[in-house]
Amino acid sequence: MTFKQIVWKMAKVQYKKYLIYFLCNSFAVMFFFMFSTVYFNERIIEAKKLDGIQDALAVPAVALVVFTVFFISYAHNVFMKRRKSEFGLFMTLGMSHRDISKLLLLENGVIGLCSIVTGIIGGAIFSRLFFLLLMKSVGLEEIPFHFNGSMFLYSIATFALVFLAAVGKSLFFTLKKDVIQSLRSNRTAETIKLKSPLFGGFGLVMMFGSILMLYFSFSKSNGGELLLWTIGVLIGLYISLNQSVSFLIELAKKNKPFYYRRLLLLTSLDYKFKQLTSILMLVTVMIMVTIIYTTLLLTIYQSSEKDAIEGNPYDIAIVQAKTKNNLSSEEISSIINKQDNPIKQHLKMPIFYSIQTLPGVEGYFTNVVISVDDFNKLTSQQKQLQEREYINYINEAPEYVGNSNDDHQELAFNIGSKERTYQQKGMIAVKSINNLSYLHEFIIVNQAEFELLKKNADGFAAEIQLFNVANWKNTADVVEILDKKVKHYSKTAPQIADRAGIPSQQEFFQMASKIDSYQYHKNSSGILFCVISFLSVIFFFGTFILLYLNLFSELDLEQAKYQKLYKIGITAREVKRFISNELATLFFIPLVLGTTLAYLYVAILATDVGGIMKNPEILLHFVIIASGYLCIQAGYFFYARRKMCTNII
Amino acid sequence: MVILEADKIVKIYGETSGESVTKALSGISLSVKQGEFVAIMGPSGSGKTTLLNILSGIDKPTSGVMTIAGHAINKMKRDELALFRRKQIGFVFQEFNLLDSLTVKENIILPMVLEKKSAAEMEEKVQTLAGLFEIEPILQKYPYNISGGQQQRTAVSRALVNNPGIIFADEPTGNLDSKSSTAIMECFEKIVQELKTTVLLVTHDVFAASYCQKVIFIKDGHIHSYIVKKGSRKEFLNQIIDNLAVLGGRTYDI
Repeated sequence: MTFKQIVWKMAKVQYKKYLIYFLCNSFAVMFFFMFSTVYFNERIIEAKKLDGIQDALAVPAVALVVFTVFFISYAHNVFMKRRKSEFGLFMTLGMSHRDISKLLLLENGVIGLCSIVTGIIGGAIFSRLFFLLLMKSVGLEEIPFHFNGSMFLYSIATFALVFLAAVGKSLFFTLKKDVIQSLRSNRTAETIKLKSPLFGGFGLVMMFGSILMLYFSFSKSNGGELLLWTIGVLIGLYISLNQSVSFLIELAKKNKPFYYRRLLLLTSLDYKFKQLTSILMLVTVMIMVTIIYTTLLLTIYQSSEKDAIEGNPYDIAIVQAKTKNNLSSEEISSIINKQDNPIKQHLKMPIFYSIQTLPGVEGYFTNVVISVDDFNKLTSQQKQLQEREYINYINEAPEYVGNSNDDHQELAFNIGSKERTYQQKGMIAVKSINNLSYLHEFIIVNQAEFELLKKNADGFAAEIQLFNVANWKNTADVVEILDKKVKHYSKTAPQIADRAGIPSQQEFFQMASKIDSYQYHKNSSGILFCVISFLSVIFFFGTFILLYLNLFSELDLEQAKYQKLYKIGITAREVKRFISNELATLFFIPLVLGTTLAYLYVAILATDVGGIMKNPEILLHFVIIASGYLCIQAGYFFYARRKMCTNII
Repeated sequence: MVILEADKIVKIYGETSGESVTKALSGISLSVKQGEFVAIMGPSGSGKTTLLNILSGIDKPTSGVMTIAGHAINKMKRDELALFRRKQIGFVFQEFNLLDSLTVKENIILPMVLEKKSAAEMEEKVQTLAGLFEIEPILQKYPYNISGGQQQRTAVSRALVNNPGIIFADEPTGNLDSKSSTAIMECFEKIVQELKTTVLLVTHDVFAASYCQKVIFIKDGHIHSYIVKKGSRKEFLNQIIDNLAVLGGRTYDI
């Protein structure tokens, strides 16, 4: 029998550990591929219904990559942990480092390649199903499923990169280690040396302190502080997971009867938490992030209608240039006006888009001018303006507009070679026109001034047409027809001005409707919600596998421990209770921590919209998602407990 | 008063699997009186450890009856046995069997923890035992930080915390150097003399066996002979060596 045959025989006997390792890698590739079929689907982008799908999916994509890194390196570590003592034995029998590296590379190479092949095949099968479900759930059945090169390229490349890094690391350490180190390593002893109750207390203080700081500084802070305190929370969390059991043991020792009764559980937990810190951290953060994300997305999804109505006071708004090549007002009306959905209101608002050269430098500044009469018609206000006076009007609900009311500012327009200055008479913030790009801030002047500027100042005249119909939800068809026509006309129309900084005809002349906005919100947040839910399930499943693998990779140690205890006289029932308590802590502490942190974050983020108590729907969504997680985790826990008990007792 | 009684203990391995059947014990009967210090000796494979495991209720015999302090332990269920072990029996093993994640003190009180004794009682017991076996300075240390002899003294202390009627020791000096062996055997002497606890140990080590009052020799699953200490330890040691020579066989090893 040659050495090779012996190695092969050992591998065959221990096929299970290879199988688990292979399955983990295969799953990683599969999930990655499934995700990329959505991420790289060209039709979604072409459909234009989901403009920012790739941007929106960027955060989950990063999360998936981070997760894959953890997942693969953990699976690899577990695999290597089991192989290391074997390598030690091989080396004492005279196998060279070179042979070991060759063996390691061969094994990992075969497993890696097989994982890619099976992962892609599995991914190709399941992604079609996943895609179909996803599109159906958000009402985009018309978008076809397809494969393209980037999907394959990115999934394989990402996996290969992470996998190679993990193998490289093992190779490096295997080559560096001598025989004796490979043969024995007292992990318990190493772990106990890391005890530091003081540090544990510090971690807890840091985590909760950062959350408190976040809460108190959030309302008046910028994004920077949010990031800073979040980093504080995460570092605190890591230290707490690593050391807080030591801290709690130190506290518990003050109460001897309490401590002694839980002696076995506490010391075992202390060891386990130190051993599994990274993975528990991963679980906690994944739970926290996915709960925050899904809660917010579900809230946004549910508020699509509200947002569409708030963002678009009129059912349909069209901006038209006053050039000859144009859709006539009558034509537009005739398209919109349907028998079963007639026009209820039609308002025309002339605007003047002024373009002025900046003195001294190259560049322009632009203003959108409207007349006070039109403004009064639009908002049913009774504003009056004199000559050379203006009001700054911001098309936004007042609560979103800062209080920068510097009255008496001057604004000048070039008329011929002369300047005509206007004095500011206040600022108005009210949402009364649909969300149209370039038309957010207006200068209101009186009718005479408006005509004067239109005639003499540099710029162009246009018109906003605003329509209300009987039921905006039935306008999808007419909006589509109109959209095509508007696009067609603006394409053929002459350019407004061939100057940098000035919007092109196509950009400027546009339409905005409730139905479009509604569908956009619904689709993008819907698809995001589904993707995030899908990813959450993957993360959850993946972290469970990791936790499970790690726990069971030390099964022999556990068995030895309980064997010792059995000889001393521990009953099977007591063993069961210990295992139960220990696993419950390991499975539910990350969940409780993650959920609590997520709740605090959601509550803090909700202060922007008046606090969580004023938004019961956010609270409701949070409770729904958190309880979903609880159920899944409880399922995992019962499964792991049963497995552990049958293996040990 | 007899504390341990074994009647026709038979243990057969490999019976259920139908593979090669091995008869480890073929009808051993013995009895141990309270306060006795007994060693079981014999060649490798003679069934010493099997006997000890069966006598102590860790393993089940194929047939036969054992009673400890009047309880028929062969009729007990698994969990009943576990409870019985921790209340009535103390154990000392060759490989110490201490838990790495617990300190010496915590290891000692572990059986009391399982028994849910009060904290004050535990503290008191630890202090007494640590004083008796001179391990006070290492109470807060972890097992991997102390010597083998200290670990075994910890294990002996642990075996005694629940005031057992009998202590079983499986090769207690097997992993120790001669100095530590002496210390451990002196511990056992103290247990018998001062605490009046019965000790039954299985050993290869004639030196260790010479501390006992009685040595039972077994061979091929039978009791071969036994000798009782009459004179000094040195004389007894020579007697044991002579007896082992009679027991003979190439498998004999010291």
